[in-house]
Amino acid sequence: MAQENGAPSAAEKGKGKAGEAKPDKKEDEIKFDKDGKLIPNRKKGEEPEEEELSEEDQNLKTELEMLVSRLKEPDTSLYIPALNAIKDSIKTSTSSMTAVPKPLKFLRPHYDDLCQIYEQWPSGKEKDSFADVLSVLGMTQGNEEKLDTLKFRLAVPPSQDLGSWGHEYVRHLALEIGQDYQKRLTDDEDVDDLVNLTRSLVPYFLSHNAEADAVDIMSEIEIIQEIPKYLDENTYGRVCLYMVSMVNLLTYPEDQQFLHTAHDIYKQYNKLPQATVLAIRLNDIDLIRKDFDSTEDVSMKRQMAMLVARQQIWLPIEDIEDDKLQECLSNEKLPDHFKSLAKELNLLEPKMPEDIYKSHLESTRTAGLTNVDSARHNLASAFVNAFTNAGFGHDKMLLDVGEGDKTSWIFKTKDDGQFSTTASLGMLLRWDIENGLEQIDKYSYSDDTQIKAGALLATGLLNSAVRSDTEPAMALLATEENLNNENVQVRVASIIGLGMACAGTNKEDLFELLHPIVEDTSLDMQISAMAALSLGFIFVGSSDDRVSQAIISTLLDEDRQKQLKDKWTRFMSLGLALLFFGRQEEVEVILETLKVIDHPMAKPAGVLAEVCAYAGTGTVLKLQELLHLCNDHIEGDADEKKGDELIQTYAVLGLSLIAMGEEVGQEMVLRQFGHLMHYGEANIRKAVPLAMGLISPSNPQMKVYDTLSRYSHDNDNDVAINAIFAMGLLGAGTNNARLAQLLRQLASYYHRDQNSLFMVRIAQGLLHMGKGTMSISPFHTDRQIISRVAAAGLLTVLVSMIDAKQFILAEHHYLLYMIITAMHPRFLVTLDEELKPLQVNVRVGQAVDVVGQAGRPKTITGWQTQSTPVLLAYGERAELEDEQYISLASNLEGLVILRKNPAWEEG
Amino acid sequence: MGNNPSSLGGPPGEPGKDDKDKKKDKPKYEQPPPPTTRIGRKKRKAAGPNASTKLPQIYPSSRCKLKYLRMQRVHDHLLLEEEYVENQERIRKAKARNDMTPQTAGGDSDALDRNADERGKVDDMRGSPMGVGNLEEMIDDDHAIVSSATGPEYYVSIMSFVDKDLLEPGASILLHHKSVSVVGVLTDDADPLVSVMKLDKAPTESYADIGGLENQIQEVREAVELPLLHPELYEEMGIKPPKGVILYGGPGTGKTLLAKAVANQTSATFLRIVGSELIQKYLGDGPRLVRQIFQVAAEHSPSIVFIDEIDAIGTKRYESTSGGEREVQRTMLELLNQLDGFDDRGDVKVILATNKIDTLDPALIRPGRIDRKILFENPDQNTKRKIFNLHTSKMSLSDDVELEEFISQKDDLSGADIKAICSEAGLMALRERRMRVQMSDFRSARDRVMKTKTEEKIEGLYL
Repeated sequence: MAQENGAPSAAEKGKGKAGEAKPDKKEDEIKFDKDGKLIPNRKKGEEPEEEELSEEDQNLKTELEMLVSRLKEPDTSLYIPALNAIKDSIKTSTSSMTAVPKPLKFLRPHYDDLCQIYEQWPSGKEKDSFADVLSVLGMTQGNEEKLDTLKFRLAVPPSQDLGSWGHEYVRHLALEIGQDYQKRLTDDEDVDDLVNLTRSLVPYFLSHNAEADAVDIMSEIEIIQEIPKYLDENTYGRVCLYMVSMVNLLTYPEDQQFLHTAHDIYKQYNKLPQATVLAIRLNDIDLIRKDFDSTEDVSMKRQMAMLVARQQIWLPIEDIEDDKLQECLSNEKLPDHFKSLAKELNLLEPKMPEDIYKSHLESTRTAGLTNVDSARHNLASAFVNAFTNAGFGHDKMLLDVGEGDKTSWIFKTKDDGQFSTTASLGMLLRWDIENGLEQIDKYSYSDDTQIKAGALLATGLLNSAVRSDTEPAMALLATEENLNNENVQVRVASIIGLGMACAGTNKEDLFELLHPIVEDTSLDMQISAMAALSLGFIFVGSSDDRVSQAIISTLLDEDRQKQLKDKWTRFMSLGLALLFFGRQEEVEVILETLKVIDHPMAKPAGVLAEVCAYAGTGTVLKLQELLHLCNDHIEGDADEKKGDELIQTYAVLGLSLIAMGEEVGQEMVLRQFGHLMHYGEANIRKAVPLAMGLISPSNPQMKVYDTLSRYSHDNDNDVAINAIFAMGLLGAGTNNARLAQLLRQLASYYHRDQNSLFMVRIAQGLLHMGKGTMSISPFHTDRQIISRVAAAGLLTVLVSMIDAKQFILAEHHYLLYMIITAMHPRFLVTLDEELKPLQVNVRVGQAVDVVGQAGRPKTITGWQTQSTPVLLAYGERAELEDEQYISLASNLEGLVILRKNPAWEEG
Repeated sequence: MGNNPSSLGGPPGEPGKDDKDKKKDKPKYEQPPPPTTRIGRKKRKAAGPNASTKLPQIYPSSRCKLKYLRMQRVHDHLLLEEEYVENQERIRKAKARNDMTPQTAGGDSDALDRNADERGKVDDMRGSPMGVGNLEEMIDDDHAIVSSATGPEYYVSIMSFVDKDLLEPGASILLHHKSVSVVGVLTDDADPLVSVMKLDKAPTESYADIGGLENQIQEVREAVELPLLHPELYEEMGIKPPKGVILYGGPGTGKTLLAKAVANQTSATFLRIVGSELIQKYLGDGPRLVRQIFQVAAEHSPSIVFIDEIDAIGTKRYESTSGGEREVQRTMLELLNQLDGFDDRGDVKVILATNKIDTLDPALIRPGRIDRKILFENPDQNTKRKIFNLHTSKMSLSDDVELEEFISQKDDLSGADIKAICSEAGLMALRERRMRVQMSDFRSARDRVMKTKTEEKIEGLYL
């Protein structure tokens, strides 16, 4: 006997041979699901090693063989017991996870025979039962084409208890269903039986902690909208979480369907804040409204109002009796909360620019050399002062200097500098409608048009992101005197001011006011373009027809043609693009129209509109198109070249605009930037740092700022300047010490280059924005929602940075203030149901992606316990320390209302 | 990019481009301010463009569509990258060709020639033999202080064709034999000893060559191979897979054999070390070796590290005055740290083998380090039969051989003893110039083997 079995394997002891000679061992390693292919090889090897089996195994084998042979016999009365016996032995067999259960192993060689017998049997109870067994056995065949498991499963009435065959079997079945469904779809066959079978599988998955599988199979069979009825209190949360995190990766109709389904589930379980978040993501005002109206719970309503206000959607709700609700909707209390945060964190003391520059830490060589161009330097200080003390309402340079007019910092700057310096008041007094307007007021009667214009812009900035019944911005800015002032600066200031103050409001009156300015071809391009941009801000993401018509028609206008070469044209097209922010394919109409315009500036406008439309979606196809645009190295005469270069520049910005929001794409696109930097021409290279800034605003990742700091020494000054600015964006409002140090080094490095130095100062100001309490990331509520208004503000600043030397570094530095729409405090303030600040302890830590993880994993890691109000950095999450209160919001972020837990017992 | 600088005097039109690339890589600030150069600084591990070459981590790790979609997203992006880079390279080449055609018709072969030519020149300049040294400090872009193994430090120039991105303090570099200038960088830091331990050729022993030991095989597979192949199974269950196993049991029970079989079967990198190898002549060399082994393992992960005879370094710690002893203990401490230290080693599994588990330091086998202990015992009857069959299957036996006789005897035979009996019997047959092994051969072989076994014990008595 020894020779018999040993001979073949003795000759060569290679892997494969040895395995065949001793299949018993090899069998041990066969995995259920994947390695099915290995099994057929072993059929022949079954006989020779019978004596290798242990006694128990031998018994089992003979018994099974006996049962099989019984099935082959004509005696029908024995069938049922035999089948039951086989079933029993399959079900009861357990083994290690690496091995195929023994009964299946022994039955496998008989599979083909059994199939034949099955065919011969008359239909009936026996046959069904037999099909059951064969379906399980089919799993071991590993012939993926045949889909045996499914075939036999469908032969049986679907009411069977599938779960008893084990998890692995159900999964395998789900896999085959998916495959078969695709096949049948292409062959145009009926799929009802598959759908029915799926329905019977889903409850099993859901009850066995396999929500992911349930969602997967349902989305595969395209019946995801049915999932709510299978859910219960315990499973809905995980299912929704899983579904929502898939949305970013799905293609168009499916992602909307997922969001809708998840929204309905949340609503069904009365998780209205979560539902509202999804409604906001769907950009469906009616749905938000419905969610809003679906509850009578006042506090809940207020909480939802805060969420809506954070997104800067102005819900058209008129007859609100509840004052407090109105407050929440209009963000009116924001300054109070912000100041209370400042008080808690001991940040009330205003900071001087010198506190930010810390020039004593710069290398000493520079001392005494810096203030060469002192007006320029003072202007930079004004910006830094504005950013640093933004929203606090106090500073040492403009507000707290007493009445002696000449001591104010405004008079330390010149011309356009005075404009921006005065405008910085708006930034300093942001949100504070009650007290702030007075302080600006005195400047608006100035004889100096620059100061007057600055005061107007300041009024606009002050009103951004808050709303008041009295609508001070409209009253002060939208006057005939301001909008039709003969001074360009004053007009531009009022127009931008309106845009900032009413961003995202979709206000009718403003359309009436501004569209004549856009369409009036006799006006300077600057004014029209700014009006278009303001309209873009006000109607951001609304795809409003009339506005787009107004802008398109002015672009088409004959008289405009010669003006289109103007540098301001880009803001006109940006205004158009903003209208379609996040609207995806709705933008196609405009793209078609723009193709008609025969001007080199038309194509860039199209690109800009397209990237805005797909912003935050992560769509790979769009990214591919953009990269194709970047492929060419443009040659040709200056005019043509300009337009084409702009296309590529926009395309680069578009890469990050589209990729942002989806984490995988966000990281991957960084790699792409490296290549673009390597191969690209100057126009691409200067946009890359900006794009890198756009993709992680207020999120100082080391790998990004390390690359940027390298670019900040580039030979091409444009690249260097943009890189410096991008470093500012990256660290905006974080006080990141490493970035601060890098910027200080840059300050001494560039101490002779005024432009670069100016930019370094701006970047330093951004870094310490709001003394480290602000964020400019357009994503909020656990990075789920992209705020269109914020993204629009960021994009505008970046577009103006493309040719920094014509805008920001020339006399149009006020464009920097556009970033105000993106600035939002990164705080967590807890309120009681009366909307009074409430101090509770929270744990703050790094957010962890818990989707699809087993058990109940912690959602944060490395936490610290602090008492509210607290600051949340990018990617941080908070949770309540104990259960004394219940949070009404879906995430602890921004303003959160806490309700007393009725079940809480003191002590 | 790294090789670009070697295209000295390449086609006209290219140098400008190359220049720009180079600048992008390592900004050389020739502008007024002092040359605060970044090359030659110690680079942080995850800095610069290399950091972005790392692919994002994909969660969740369980099998589901979300994971698939995310992986697909990464895949799509990589395709985009590939497409872009290919296009650009094509454009660049086309441009270069256009510029070149006026001078030399039929460019390609010419370019090849020139490349080879240049390479030859560079090799000439490097000269041979080249010394190996250490970079101590960068002075400026073209000069550095180096030290060679012999001791003295030199201030030398750096040849222009050296890839300066790779230069960093502590790097191993090639030095010209006369001028001692830097002519190249050795990128791989790891000790050559470590690469020897990497197993290139799989051993021939497979699981099929192990008689019995089913449970042990299964345990090893579950603890070592399965976490590498299907980490999602553990993830779904919400547990961390074991870090490794320790195989213990009497001599000749098949511990090493099983490890060989694992090496034979697995597609993971297999590093094998014997405990005694870790004891080195110089202070600090042993721990360093341990570190490097695990570093190599992590680089080539998934990988399996097999340390045989771990008792050589893993004995219980005790107060000792001998420097040697203490060094051995330090080596073990390093091993402890590598097993469950601060850094997560990821996909590295460890198999230890010893026959004296009771002498091991408890810290080594505490839960969280190596907590799966697999006992190898002397074979029972069934296993004995299998082992006999295994060894005799290759031998030509005469008909009268009845192995059951040995199997049913109550001798305490280990796997190795059985093998010894078989080969002893074969030798006997050879001695008598027979072509077949007879039962009598086996009997006398068994007696001999048993005798040597007992002799060992008797000698022990006299000691």
